[in-house]
Amino acid sequence: MSNPTDLLYDTVRAAGVDFFTSVPCKLLGDFITRLSADGTVAYTPVSREEEAVGIMAGAFMAGRRPALVMQNSGFGNSINAVLSLLNYYRIPALFLISHRGSEGEFIEAQKLMGNAIGDLLRVAGVACHDIPHPGALEQVSQGIADAWRDQRPAAFLFPFSFWTGKE
Amino acid sequence: MKRFEAIGIIADRAGAIPVVCTLGHTCQELFKTADRPTNFYMLGSMGMASSIGLGIALSRPGKVVAIDGDAAVTMNMGSLATIGHAQPADLILVILDNQANGATGFQPSMSARSLRLDQVARGCGIAAVSRVGDPAGLATAMNTAMNTAGPHVIVVDVETGVMPGLQIIPMGPADIRNRFMDALK
Repeated sequence: MSNPTDLLYDTVRAAGVDFFTSVPCKLLGDFITRLSADGTVAYTPVSREEEAVGIMAGAFMAGRRPALVMQNSGFGNSINAVLSLLNYYRIPALFLISHRGSEGEFIEAQKLMGNAIGDLLRVAGVACHDIPHPGALEQVSQGIADAWRDQRPAAFLFPFSFWTGKE
Repeated sequence: MKRFEAIGIIADRAGAIPVVCTLGHTCQELFKTADRPTNFYMLGSMGMASSIGLGIALSRPGKVVAIDGDAAVTMNMGSLATIGHAQPADLILVILDNQANGATGFQPSMSARSLRLDQVARGCGIAAVSRVGDPAGLATAMNTAMNTAGPHVIVVDVETGVMPGLQIIPMGPADIRNRFMDALK
């Protein structure tokens, strides 16, 4: 049976995403390793999340279908650009987010942002999808299609349960 | 050299390639000097112009110019690190350095005292970096950047102040985006 990383990777690629940026994350580490080795996609690591919002906007306007791979803690760094660039110009950038601070979190400091992330995404006008286990990956395919149809950004939250199989 | 003079030279040398422009008076000066479908006017998201340019350069063949300001680059200095890492051969980043935060009342920026963005760019691993302060120097630097592999960073020392008779850009976001995307096809 495939592991959660490969199932997610294949889902996102099959949905047509062909341009990736990333900020490091342990839960998404294997995903990022696969990205670096995949010669069929454009990929660049970035310094922090807001920068990736700009890069995704450029990539989209140049005909690509971009995504950022990141931890939820970094979303706070990007909110102005999410609103005044992605939502202002209606750019359907995607956020693939490991949900730190969710059930199973071992670092207390992650929990506040972990609890706030859903509300922050909604306030920032980003469609928010919780993906609790790999069996729910169909919601990712649908959410990506909706984002491109509506020309709006979308986020997908992958909590510890997605990666460990423990809910 | 006044900033709008620099913008005129950049637009002239860029010709029909995409130009992404940072917000505020810089955008308005580009609009007034050389409006064209290949211009992307970034009206919010201060700091993102170099990143948008990078995203375009990594996505399609052909040169792209990003016009940025010194204080805006300072807000997103990680972008220089990413450009140095990604080495996009087609990206030309022009930083107009007026040593001030123009849009908010010309408060001195960090380059007025200590910051040297050309040195930061070099430290980020960008080899083709130049610093110019007159029209002939800028024209030469743009010609080099248009005709050789980059990434290129050109820091342009310009006077503070704005072009007389500027107006708010009379285009909505959908118009700006769609016209630009059509021009890139």
